[in-house]
Amino acid sequence: MTTLAATELADYFPLIVIIMMAVTFSVANVALTLLLGPKRDGKVKSIAYESGMNPIGTARKRFNVRFYLIAMVFLVFDVEVIFLYPWAVTFPNVDRLAPGASEWLIRILFFLFTTVVAYLYGYRKGVFKFD
Amino acid sequence: MDIIPTGLTATQIFISLPFIAIMVHVILGACAYLIYIERKVCSYIQDRVGPNRVGFDFGLKWLSFLKGALGLGQPLADGIKFLLKEDYMPKSADRVLFTLAPATIVIPAMIGFLIIPWGGYIDIPDMSVPLLGDIGGRVVLAGANFNAGVIYLLAVASLGVYGVVLGGWASNNKYSFLGGLRASAQMVSYEIPLGLSLMCVLLICGTIMPMGIIEHQVQNGWLIFAHPLAAILFFVAILAEANRAPFDNAEAEQELVGGYHTEYSSMRFALFFLAEYMHMITSCAFFTLLFLGGFHLPAIPGLGIEDTSIVAGLLKLGVFFTKVVLLITFMIIIRWTVPRLRYDQVMFLGWQSMIPLGMVMLVMTSVMVFYEWTAWYELLAANVVLTALVFLVMPVLPKNKVNKRIPMYGSRFNPMPGERVETSAPGGLATEDRPVEGTVPAM
Repeated sequence: MTTLAATELADYFPLIVIIMMAVTFSVANVALTLLLGPKRDGKVKSIAYESGMNPIGTARKRFNVRFYLIAMVFLVFDVEVIFLYPWAVTFPNVDRLAPGASEWLIRILFFLFTTVVAYLYGYRKGVFKFD
Repeated sequence: MDIIPTGLTATQIFISLPFIAIMVHVILGACAYLIYIERKVCSYIQDRVGPNRVGFDFGLKWLSFLKGALGLGQPLADGIKFLLKEDYMPKSADRVLFTLAPATIVIPAMIGFLIIPWGGYIDIPDMSVPLLGDIGGRVVLAGANFNAGVIYLLAVASLGVYGVVLGGWASNNKYSFLGGLRASAQMVSYEIPLGLSLMCVLLICGTIMPMGIIEHQVQNGWLIFAHPLAAILFFVAILAEANRAPFDNAEAEQELVGGYHTEYSSMRFALFFLAEYMHMITSCAFFTLLFLGGFHLPAIPGLGIEDTSIVAGLLKLGVFFTKVVLLITFMIIIRWTVPRLRYDQVMFLGWQSMIPLGMVMLVMTSVMVFYEWTAWYELLAANVVLTALVFLVMPVLPKNKVNKRIPMYGSRFNPMPGERVETSAPGGLATEDRPVEGTVPAM
């Protein structure tokens, strides 16, 4: 059995630095182009592009329900994958010959089996059909 | 609270901060020149010359010796042009989100490379530095070294979807909206096979620290040879995550104009573009780290884990970066040679092929790890068996019925009954290439 290394919050200090750098970079670039670029407004220019036609209605319409379905199924699978990470890191260090070691495998296989059931349910319901 | 503690963490920070400052600029420059490489590769594939005019002479006579025939000044000229163009926003757009979207996509792309251990371990001699105190010891030549490891990379990579969604939604343009929707659904879908194939690597290595994964590969051989299926799955998933061809449905020109950045112009558009290339660099570095042994090259001394001088560190950085650039060039060649998938095919590939395969692969790897069959030939044998099984099972699986080609009667592929269509000419030339009567074909 191994444990994860102790959390050192100071280890994350470079992360703060680079986030600040990235924010500065994006803000500075947009500000520079606002300063340097020309400003030429126009009545037709301010219309959203729709192949040269006047836009018909707004773009914020109802859209295909499949995208919602994909989002929901993604939640199921992504949460499953996240649950597996701690197991994936500790499992290789389990001694195979120790008593109760096979439970480490069997339990996670059962967990994966429940996901397979969810997958088959989604498949039967036609969630993955994108025709 | 004292934010900078003494000891090894302080040493890591002492290395990290200058390294980040240099590496950000290296990566930004690399992005600019990757665009140049992309244009060059594309033009050679399409039998053109590509950018070949712009040098570094800036139109000045006394600098004319810097006039390059290779067009190496093109990225710089492009950058300046982006800055000098008008930054336009359509009236109907959501002002806040429209401004926010390029930043939301460029920030995750920029911070991703933080934990890539470009140079491996290096030894810092004991010394005393103001602010940090006494430092010294063995640290990683990387942006940071924290215990979240590769999970951090995965988390940051999946943040990129927000910028795409925001850009598509805020523009209030139908093309942008559809592009954003498609991109988000696709990025979300391919995250799962990405995670599953990453899990195989974690199972084999037993650690989430990037240096641990490289050490395992130095001792036991690169994982691309041990577990090629996981490598292929991972590579396809990063192609789809980065919205690269053949998965670039989000910006399919023929259908959606420019996709989620149709309404963007000047530097904001450039930020979208830059983010794509930075995303490519990060994900290719991730692939190199997981499957290509990081900075390791077999049979070359001076690149091992135990070479911890600063020169060796820089050498390893060079090797790592070369691998990444070669991988990106491979991605570019894929982009200009493989046709784009239709959107339903993309979703089919993600949900109905890669995820089941990833799950089976995960079960296989965990059983192999449990019985300690983790030598490269054992894993490779298991991979071969799994591939054979897939090919055996495939004919039994239910067929996808909806994607049949619709026959267009009267075309040369489906001629009307009784009609005969000539599709190839005698003499080996295609119908279109037949010479006009009385001329000689140019060969």
